[in-house]
Amino acid sequence: MARRTEPPDGGWGWVVVLSAFFQSALVFGVLRSFGVFFVEFVAAFGEKAARVSWIASIGIAVQQFGSPVGSALSTKFGPRPVVMTGGILAALGMLLASFATSLTHLYLSIGLLSGSGWALTFAPTLACLSCYFSRRRSLATALALTGVGLSSFAFAPLFQWLLSHYAWRGSLLLVSALSLHLVACGALLRPPSLAEDPAVGGPRAQLTSLLHHGPFLRYTVALTLINTGYFIPYLHLVAHLQDLNWDPLPAAFLLSVAAISDLVGRVVSGWLGDAVPGPVTRLLMLWTTLTGVSLALFPVARAPTALVALAVAYGFTSGALAPLAFSVLPELVGTKRIYCGLGLLQMIESIGGLLGPPLSGYLRDVTGNYTASFVVAGAFLLSGSGILLTLPHFFSCFSTTTSRPQDLVTEALDIKVPLPKEGLEED
Amino acid sequence: MRALPGLLAARAPTPRLLLLLQCLLATARPSSADGSALDLPFTSLPLREEMMANNFSLESHNISLTEHSNMPVEKNITLERPSNVNLTCHFTTSGDLNAVNVTWKKDSEQLENNYLVSATGSTLYTQYRFTIINSKQMGSYSCFFREEKEQRGTFNFKVPELHRKNKPLISYVGDSTVLTCKCQNCFPLNWTWYSTNGSIKVPVGVQMNKYVINGTYANETKLKITQLLEEDGGSYWCHALFQLGESEEHIELVVLSYLVPLKPFLAIVAEVVLLVATILLCEKYTQKKKKHSDEGKEFEQIEQLKSDDSNGIENNVPRHRKNVSYF
Repeated sequence: MARRTEPPDGGWGWVVVLSAFFQSALVFGVLRSFGVFFVEFVAAFGEKAARVSWIASIGIAVQQFGSPVGSALSTKFGPRPVVMTGGILAALGMLLASFATSLTHLYLSIGLLSGSGWALTFAPTLACLSCYFSRRRSLATALALTGVGLSSFAFAPLFQWLLSHYAWRGSLLLVSALSLHLVACGALLRPPSLAEDPAVGGPRAQLTSLLHHGPFLRYTVALTLINTGYFIPYLHLVAHLQDLNWDPLPAAFLLSVAAISDLVGRVVSGWLGDAVPGPVTRLLMLWTTLTGVSLALFPVARAPTALVALAVAYGFTSGALAPLAFSVLPELVGTKRIYCGLGLLQMIESIGGLLGPPLSGYLRDVTGNYTASFVVAGAFLLSGSGILLTLPHFFSCFSTTTSRPQDLVTEALDIKVPLPKEGLEED
Repeated sequence: MRALPGLLAARAPTPRLLLLLQCLLATARPSSADGSALDLPFTSLPLREEMMANNFSLESHNISLTEHSNMPVEKNITLERPSNVNLTCHFTTSGDLNAVNVTWKKDSEQLENNYLVSATGSTLYTQYRFTIINSKQMGSYSCFFREEKEQRGTFNFKVPELHRKNKPLISYVGDSTVLTCKCQNCFPLNWTWYSTNGSIKVPVGVQMNKYVINGTYANETKLKITQLLEEDGGSYWCHALFQLGESEEHIELVVLSYLVPLKPFLAIVAEVVLLVATILLCEKYTQKKKKHSDEGKEFEQIEQLKSDDSNGIENNVPRHRKNVSYF
């Protein structure tokens, strides 16, 4: 049977975009709105903030760490069965969590089980998406990722409402049912018929060359530092606000406000990244610095208006840095090594995502409030942005040869290797 | 606050005020150590000695009123330990200070003695001193200044209040939950928990492993209830006992059975299964349709070729089928 040699750039591809939209909503939206559950867990288990923060950080780390596994499995079996299995695992994890009697149960069920479920859903979906789109891949990916912003906006108050009616056990049960929709999304992923993808280089050779690549290693360190501080507000903001005597529902709404401005930030940053000449690294550094500053200012703000303004600022700047974090990589390592580079980057930066929230929780336990946590988070971000200064071509006036991400992506497509992890920079 | 400036200060007392002053002199002694050698009336001696002999802290509060205040002025004071209390009211008026009648009341009964009045310029001062030892002395103390209108200042003494949680605590059958009561900056002598049986408050006894009462700090108490049953739901009251009274707060506990969230859960799971089935069936159906239409097209193509052949050169070479799939 003769097969298409080019992706259709449309048709069923838009259905895949829709499926990816819902998947990003269900995976990252849930992860981000977990800050609402955080307060309940601290009260229910009588445990310290640091220990409870491990739940979310294990989930994030497993999701990031396991995404290469997800994309490898999907190349072998096709995206559909992998994503459906991932959906079942994620829902099962939440289901078991609703019966938890200790924190360890939650680490294993939400952290490990749901985390691996999430790892199996997101990567194959993006790979599938890239099989369907070439010219319009960035647009398709951006549309798919808006799901994250919209769901964080909707889920935070929704989870708070669920908590006030069903307490945390019933709410986890219902979130599990919600996560089961990942299976339905997976069913939509019809495998496209493309020619066989030839392997490029040897993965082992690429890996070793990357590990000797100075700028790549520095970039990895920078992103790991950024990742350490990045997730902290989504996890601890609600608790911090309740320490300031806010009621739970307005606190959850503040999280939604941050999520909306995150969405706007992504879109603006994507447009700006294309429109502004010069290396993207500079913009990334700008956004990272601003995010760090806004994080560090959180403890200083007491008045509601100041907190809302800071939430908007944080949301915007952190959303802005997310798409750029991916765009910098092709400039650094070149298109041939990009997939290997991405996998390695994800694995290493997941360490930051794993350690950040518990560190913040530990600081909270030791000092009694979240001031130190937020300031340290901001410090991590600022140090990450400082390292970005050391990247090559930072101070040059011209972009490097292939600076436009879309061009890189098209180039990559010519090699016909699926793009598995775009957007997994979304933390 | 240092006591009143020159008690019987520089004004010609009117007959009314003179009478008042005589009453005062007869019953009380100014505490300013100005050293007037007035005899200490018997009734005031115990008070003064009491106030000097105890080591209670001193609470001083004052209220300012003018002739134009149209709303009574209130001050809320939180007290948990026995204290010596000084209450002072200032009244500023442009009229004649002598025409002002000054009284003190506790709740609604008039206080006869132990208060002092003095004046400077256009302000009248009155001070009432007493000791609060137990809950009988707590309440509202008011000073009244009567000219044509009566101006009133009230000091409300209350024991510390407990923090209120407005939303009920939700838990499930078989689970355990912790009810907390706390107050800010207070040290109750004792905490007690009550559960309500109908409208009767029943103290919570420490039965077997079901109820455990403890608290990490003196200003909070925690009641842990394990192995919850549906009947355990309802209102719980926590009482804080102070030397000067009691304070209480109520917490609502709701115990749900697992069926409550299970029903929406099963509904959503059913919906997902339906969705997945629909999607997969739709796909199978469209695939079948395409297959049929493909076969139809191939048939047409073969017919076309055959007719071409018959029109053109006769040909024995078999034509390869072209299978085009439209995935």
